Amino acid sequence: MSEGRRTRVIRTDYLARVEGEGAMYVRLDGREVVDVKLRIYEPPRFFEALLRGRAFTEAPDITARICGICPIAYQMSAVRAMEDACGVKIDEGPLRDLRRLIYCGEWIESHSLHVYMLHAPDFLGYPGALEMARDHREIVEQGLRMKKAGNALMTVVGGREVHPINVRVGGFYRAPSAAQLRSLQDPLERARETALQTVRWAATLPFPDVECAPEHVALSDPGRYPIDLGRIHSDRGLDIAPSGFDEHFVEEHVEHSNALHARIRERGSYLTGPLARYALCSQALRPLALEAAREAGLGPVCRNPFQSIIVRAVELVQACDEALALIAAYEEPDAPAVEITPRHAVGHGATEAPRGMIYHRYEIDEEGTILDARIVPPTSQNQLVIEEDLRAVVERGLDLSDEELSLRCEQAIRNHDPCISCATHFLELTVDRGRDGA
Amino acid sequence: MAETAPERSSPSSGPSGRRVLVIGLGNRLRRDDAAGLELARALRDRAGEAGIVVREHEGETLGLLEEWEGVEAVVLVDAVSSGVAPGTLRRMDGSVDPIPTHFRSSSSTHAVGLSDAIELARALGRLPARVVVFGIEGRCFDAGCGLSEDVRAAIAPLAERVLGEAHELISR
Repeated sequence: MSEGRRTRVIRTDYLARVEGEGAMYVRLDGREVVDVKLRIYEPPRFFEALLRGRAFTEAPDITARICGICPIAYQMSAVRAMEDACGVKIDEGPLRDLRRLIYCGEWIESHSLHVYMLHAPDFLGYPGALEMARDHREIVEQGLRMKKAGNALMTVVGGREVHPINVRVGGFYRAPSAAQLRSLQDPLERARETALQTVRWAATLPFPDVECAPEHVALSDPGRYPIDLGRIHSDRGLDIAPSGFDEHFVEEHVEHSNALHARIRERGSYLTGPLARYALCSQALRPLALEAAREAGLGPVCRNPFQSIIVRAVELVQACDEALALIAAYEEPDAPAVEITPRHAVGHGATEAPRGMIYHRYEIDEEGTILDARIVPPTSQNQLVIEEDLRAVVERGLDLSDEELSLRCEQAIRNHDPCISCATHFLELTVDRGRDGA
Repeated sequence: MAETAPERSSPSSGPSGRRVLVIGLGNRLRRDDAAGLELARALRDRAGEAGIVVREHEGETLGLLEEWEGVEAVVLVDAVSSGVAPGTLRRMDGSVDPIPTHFRSSSSTHAVGLSDAIELARALGRLPARVVVFGIEGRCFDAGCGLSEDVRAAIAPLAERVLGEAHELISR
């Protein structure tokens, strides 16, 4: 083989700073990229099987356990779908406001983790937050303070910060008091200030020159930046109710990953998440967030996926500012939930998880027993675009060493904050003869 | 909120004035990964013994830095996969030095692994003075609920050992 046709393989069998389990494989033949694969080890559809036969009221609690980072996204999509099946709408009023409020908490918590702890080290040249903390302690401290503000919000509204227990089909088990919410104002005001500083800081980071042009897909909620409900729309003309998801999107098994890959029928890959929300809905950002975006130099669309860190910081401003507005306007609802009577029907729910749109569909019988469940998380929707990004990054980085190129590829994956659901905590030990062994 | 909300108050002090927090970690939807959580649950009725508070932690690991704020000693219990007999307990002291490297560089699948969370807390001066990590060897980490039989059988005796450690940390 001539030097010019040397085969290079860039692979990472374990992706650090990605929520879940995954691996990456890139094959180059000379200067030609011949294969790009993001492999995701996602237990196939385990939850959908787990849900069948359970009561419709159990879906929010069961699906919340799919992810330790975005339980609210799963809960809110589940309650929306169940209410849709039962013919109930909670599209306005204090219960909806509380839902948006707790969802803001999750955005703050999740985006803080990603911006400061997982993504910042890529730009500052550290293997991880731990190493970064030694030189940039303030960044890590800011991240922890922001995360704490998000956790506090989720705890007050949700009952506890991880797997909130206060969310139910029809509303909440108990509505927080106005005084409880007011206790969140100070930390949220500080968090908003930190978020504004973070937008300014993120804009100064060095970004590789990469431009990608995927079809952006996000919910649309007229007059509001989308979080908890809306129609599904795209910048290539899609505009459908969540119930039209199956008609327009398809999920396919591919050989190299046991997660399903989603695509728009007849068009292909698409992107959900901060870049898509921003591209489609920036005009609906709160003025403070929009101004921060403009000051940071963001145009109406951000096509460099590495700059997603700026967009996430803008969304941190948005979530803090929106949460403060919701708290200021809060009046306790007459009842914490509306009564729901099940009926034999299919229901659909779509919301905006921090890392992208999430879609749930359930069929329940007249007793409320779940007959069928379908959950489409953001990462399975973004997987094809992540592979396309990898290809673009490799093509522009052919002169980098294998090590540098591998790191650049990992960064390209982290740009989309993939959450590979149902992660485990377990620690894989291949050697177990340590000094402290029991 | 709902009745099952875990105890959130700070642990009251034990006879020596010290407080110990026992935290079980894991994911209940990945079989033996829940071993630490089950152990914490087995100990829950024993919480309230002076100075000892038991919690379950299912989220990402950086949340631990808030969880153990203001606590003098923490005992962490997590599942481990190392090839030894399922149900085996391994003890590591992370108070001064990092827990062993092969443990640290594991494929912990959360964004920040347990050992990294400990080291980050150490770097920021947010680590309790005493940190003991117990690893419970699991057999199966597939998607699904419920512990393997041999891991389940080991939980009660292991819980006694973890409780013993907590008592020792209080009296030390």
